[in-house]
Amino acid sequence: MTGQDVLTVRGLRKRYRGRRGVQANDGIDLDVAAGQVVGLLGHNGAGKTTLVHQVVGLVRPDEGSITVTGLDAVAHPEHARRLVSIQAQANVPISGLTPRRAIELVGRIRGASPADVRRRATELLDALDLGAWADTPAEKVSGGVARLTAFAMTTVVPGRLVVLDEPTNDVDPVRRRLLWQQIRGLADAGHGVLLVTHNVREAERVVDHLAILDRGVVRAADTPAGLTARLRGTLTLEVDTVPGVPVRWHAAARDAAAGHLRATASIPSGAAAEVVRWAQDEVEAGRLERYALTPASLEDVYVQLVGEPADVTEEAPAA
Amino acid sequence: MTTLTAPAPTRTDGLRQTLLLAQWQLRRQSQYLPLMVVVQVFMAVATVVGYGLLVGDPDPVTALFLATGAPTITLITVGLVMVPQMVGQSRIEGSLDWMRTLPVPRIAFLLSDLLVWTLIALPGMALGVLAGVLRFDVDLSIAPWFLPATVLVSLTASAVGYAMATVLPPQLAMLLTQALVFIVLLFSPVSYPAERMPAWLQTAHEWLPIEPMAQLVRAGLAQHTFAMPTRSLVVLLVWAAASLAGAAVALRRRA
Repeated sequence: MTGQDVLTVRGLRKRYRGRRGVQANDGIDLDVAAGQVVGLLGHNGAGKTTLVHQVVGLVRPDEGSITVTGLDAVAHPEHARRLVSIQAQANVPISGLTPRRAIELVGRIRGASPADVRRRATELLDALDLGAWADTPAEKVSGGVARLTAFAMTTVVPGRLVVLDEPTNDVDPVRRRLLWQQIRGLADAGHGVLLVTHNVREAERVVDHLAILDRGVVRAADTPAGLTARLRGTLTLEVDTVPGVPVRWHAAARDAAAGHLRATASIPSGAAAEVVRWAQDEVEAGRLERYALTPASLEDVYVQLVGEPADVTEEAPAA
Repeated sequence: MTTLTAPAPTRTDGLRQTLLLAQWQLRRQSQYLPLMVVVQVFMAVATVVGYGLLVGDPDPVTALFLATGAPTITLITVGLVMVPQMVGQSRIEGSLDWMRTLPVPRIAFLLSDLLVWTLIALPGMALGVLAGVLRFDVDLSIAPWFLPATVLVSLTASAVGYAMATVLPPQLAMLLTQALVFIVLLFSPVSYPAERMPAWLQTAHEWLPIEPMAQLVRAGLAQHTFAMPTRSLVVLLVWAAASLAGAAVALRRRA
């Protein structure tokens, strides 16, 4: 199912100059093969948008190489743009147009014939259940519909590489599933998909491969199973607490963290039976509301690798 | 699932894409398009009528100056004021960045915008001429090259505005346009002869594109009364070429 590399990034570095210079990319290596969905995880300021902008020649790297289906994208950005289609993180304003019109116009700008574009736009609108809004002026549609329209604009004539930056933002749960099917479908049709997101939980279910980006560096890259393997011997215990009653953790619990009426801790899988018994006793004694024991998730791996997301805003200057 | 693939690029792609981009821009503005045209018409008519109030009952030469200056004011304000504001806005809202990820020759963005703005400027210009004729009862003698000349004026003004909006930070460019309105309306030899200005300002206008624009439109509208100096045409063409090149470089620039 997977084939030739559509995107190969090696040693990519980019520093934004200026008073508060930012090292946005600090030596990134990344591969996306045809037929693969590769997730690029990282919180705000990790360098995701800078990376994407370099692939299509909006930003020039200081160092390193980017090849798209074997072509040097840094030297030939105009060729790279023909091979890549991008859904930007911010919605493209399309006020004055309808979703259908916007999708069709982008398809024609990308070179497909009017008849093909019309057919494919209808297909996408149906597949994403946007029929009801297809011909509504864009200023009257919700954020979620606008987001899905932006996805359809990107994939009406998809490049060999499709880059999606947070495609599920604002999208309702039902259409999110439809969207994931479309994303998977793109890969199955032979396109390489680079999915930029900080939604770790959802990405886990559709990606073939994951790269975790932090402060401009890829901290880990593997399959979802490969990444969670290191935590295989660990389970996560989640408890709903009783207001005003602090949790008195079982001795096996580690890395305890508490939120509002909710707390989590890691426990070794060998202690699972004991911990369940303890938790059941606590519930019966009225010191806990509920508890759940789950396998370590990708989110746990992510947090372990990059720490708690710091609340910083992305420092990518307008290109 | 089957997906579409883009066909191999051909020679006419650039032109087709330019027209599609122009369609995109026009449709995006469609809501405000009538209003923009109305404002343009208002500006042109107001220039004629307003200056008329300022100067009282003008002699025939002054009247002809006013009537033939109004269309230039319209063309210049669209190019130097509305274009930078729109480009600045699309930079701030992020749509320009996304459009730039499309496989379109960079110059097509510029040309499609210039096409759109020229189309928007034309009705106001036509009605400005009409208002001048009606208000001051002047006789025009329109040259056959008048229409292409207005396109050149409109293109140059739009290209200067475009270059300004792409090179300068958006907020600064938008602010600058406000100042430019005053300079064009009051301190340029568009609606009155250059001799009325202080010498240093006359010298400055020998090198700026505004006076040549006014001269070209004036000579096109009243060819029996006014001539287009060759020097002015050269200055105008140099400005057109330089600002087109400047905008093209700015569009191609990578951060």
